[in-house]
Amino acid sequence: MAPTRKAAKRSKQARKKSPKKSAKKSSSKRSVKAESPKVAARRAASTATDSKGTVKARVAAAALSPLAVCESDKDLQAMLKTLRNQDEPVKVRLAALQAMQAASFSVVAFESSRGDYIATLRAIADDPDPELRQRVLGILAREKDGYAQKKLIEGLKDPKKALVPPEKALQLLSYDVHADAYSAARDIVKKPPDEMARREALRLLAADATAAPMFEKLLRDKKELREVRQIAASALQALKPEKMQQHAREILLDKSDYDDIKATSLTALTQFGDQEAIGKDKALLKSVDRLSAGKASAKYRQSASRFLGKYSQ
Amino acid sequence: MPRVKPASQLSEAQFAVLVDGLADDPGRRDLLTELLHENHPVYAECGAAAVVRMRGWILVALARAGVPDGALIFLLEELDAGVDPYLVAAAARALRSYPRPTETFAAFVMRALSNIRYRDEPVSFEAYGEYAMSAAGTSPVQELLETLAWLGPLARGVLPELMLLRAQCGAGSRKLRVDIDRAIRAISAADQAISSGTLACCGAPPDSLPNTVAWTASSRRDAGPIGKVVLEDHDGNRITFEEFFKGKPAIVVFFYTRCDNPMKCSLTVAKLAHVQGLLDAQGLGERIQTAAITYDPAFDLPERLRIYGQDRGVRLDARHRMLRALDNDALRRHFELGVNFIESLVNRHRIEVYILDSEARIAVSFERIHWDEREVVTRAIELLEEREPGAGQGQPRSCCSSSVAAGPAG
Repeated sequence: MAPTRKAAKRSKQARKKSPKKSAKKSSSKRSVKAESPKVAARRAASTATDSKGTVKARVAAAALSPLAVCESDKDLQAMLKTLRNQDEPVKVRLAALQAMQAASFSVVAFESSRGDYIATLRAIADDPDPELRQRVLGILAREKDGYAQKKLIEGLKDPKKALVPPEKALQLLSYDVHADAYSAARDIVKKPPDEMARREALRLLAADATAAPMFEKLLRDKKELREVRQIAASALQALKPEKMQQHAREILLDKSDYDDIKATSLTALTQFGDQEAIGKDKALLKSVDRLSAGKASAKYRQSASRFLGKYSQ
Repeated sequence: MPRVKPASQLSEAQFAVLVDGLADDPGRRDLLTELLHENHPVYAECGAAAVVRMRGWILVALARAGVPDGALIFLLEELDAGVDPYLVAAAARALRSYPRPTETFAAFVMRALSNIRYRDEPVSFEAYGEYAMSAAGTSPVQELLETLAWLGPLARGVLPELMLLRAQCGAGSRKLRVDIDRAIRAISAADQAISSGTLACCGAPPDSLPNTVAWTASSRRDAGPIGKVVLEDHDGNRITFEEFFKGKPAIVVFFYTRCDNPMKCSLTVAKLAHVQGLLDAQGLGERIQTAAITYDPAFDLPERLRIYGQDRGVRLDARHRMLRALDNDALRRHFELGVNFIESLVNRHRIEVYILDSEARIAVSFERIHWDEREVVTRAIELLEEREPGAGQGQPRSCCSSSVAAGPAG
């Protein structure tokens, strides 16, 4: 709708009355429009690395600064300095780490910053703050960094040197099959500091081809923790599927074994079983049929019906 | 026989002392080259990271002592397919101590630059096993650019690629731009030297590098005991070595599914698929067999083999198989495979491709440097023709190094 003459006049008068206000408004609009993402990011990086600012403001600004880190060496160095500085609040350092990590996802733009970034991460891998340390080691471990792997293994062998709890170290080492962690993991299985560490060690050993006999033993040990037996079942399926098939059958025929272990065995047979052999295995089919109609849990009954659906025709 | 004690008798610290000693003793320096063979017992039961530290230290020692002809192939191999920053940086540095640089080196250095540029990180050569804790020192990209500058006029062929790299540098890449500019200036300045005729010649590289070896029919080793070794294929079918390989020539590559270097096993198996395509295109898919054999049979079970091959486009049937040996040691001995292990896991391996004749004997091997699919197919066809009377049987064939002469392939 076209504005009326009166309205236009009123508007003109209003502009005449408050020229400064309207000029300011339009200039502010222009500046919002004019500020490119790069400029905004650089401003944010400057705020994030300014030790005079509040923690809240700096943390918020760090989240907006990854682009600046990629674009400006000065901002990169300032952000890394903040990250390294133990006198800075941990929240700010963690935010700086997150900003650096976000920037590193832009692989091409981050190309020439990578060296400084990796060196800084190595330098603070033994930082007094446990959260920062763990996150830094996590980033380095995902990069399959030799330094981080060495430190993690040293910590597993000598708890006094440990930078993170053993279960975390094992989890981080499992990112790289070539990390040479099997020997340390085996020692932990033999003499675990706690149950969590033992479970992580077993998960790591699930890629160790020589560990199959150990997993067979764990799977068949009814006194063993059920979660451990589940880990053993999936490890065995990966390492020696024919052995898993054999044990799965025996577990299913064993009336005294637990439902969840039977459900896992059923899944292994349903997914990977030999169609012809199982189809002819009357004892097994009868056992699964009988158990599926019994007092078993819904999860087990569901697994049983899938199994029977595949093999009992 | 290796003249250096195996790792079980040497700690890493002792190994470092040994390497330093060899580098300082001109009479025993050639042992450094011997130590670069992956299957040397010194690497047995060492972790992959330890192998990197050990090999890297040998390269650093060679950088100091000078690179003999025999060690050159190991440096070029690292530049061609290496992805470990420490090893690539050490190889680039060592290459600068080779007395007779050639234009071919520039292509290897440039290839290494493309492989490593997004994995660049600080490295330290100050002490054995040391990790850089600051970016003030060197890095693979810096070493590679310095090597290009060292090559000077010999790197003219890669100047356009280097200019492109310069143009791609991000706004924050001031340091990288400075290093690239230095290399460009060195190459261009030397260019002027060439045009004014003032540049001295650098000498010739060795005539042949042992990356491709061919044996005449009369000099080929019989399959021997390997013939009875049982192989299992991607479908779980079992067949002896002899049953599969005797009767037709075969192209054989080695790999393992857990290899984390995309320039090695994954690429090798993808290239095998290309080889199969080339054979099919000439109607030879039934007359020349192909096989990819895993180094890691304990982990690479039939299903893993099948999926790995299929994912890379490999044709799988009775004549073309992914295989694992039930007796891996026999296979290692027969092919003298360039591989070593910690327990059953590979800790380091080279690229290796073999062509077997119709008697299952090794006729040609391609090692370390990326192989060219067409060349492999051509060599396999020659073996087919060898069976026909008067078609070259028994004619001597010397070693050749076509891949190196042409620069990195693939």
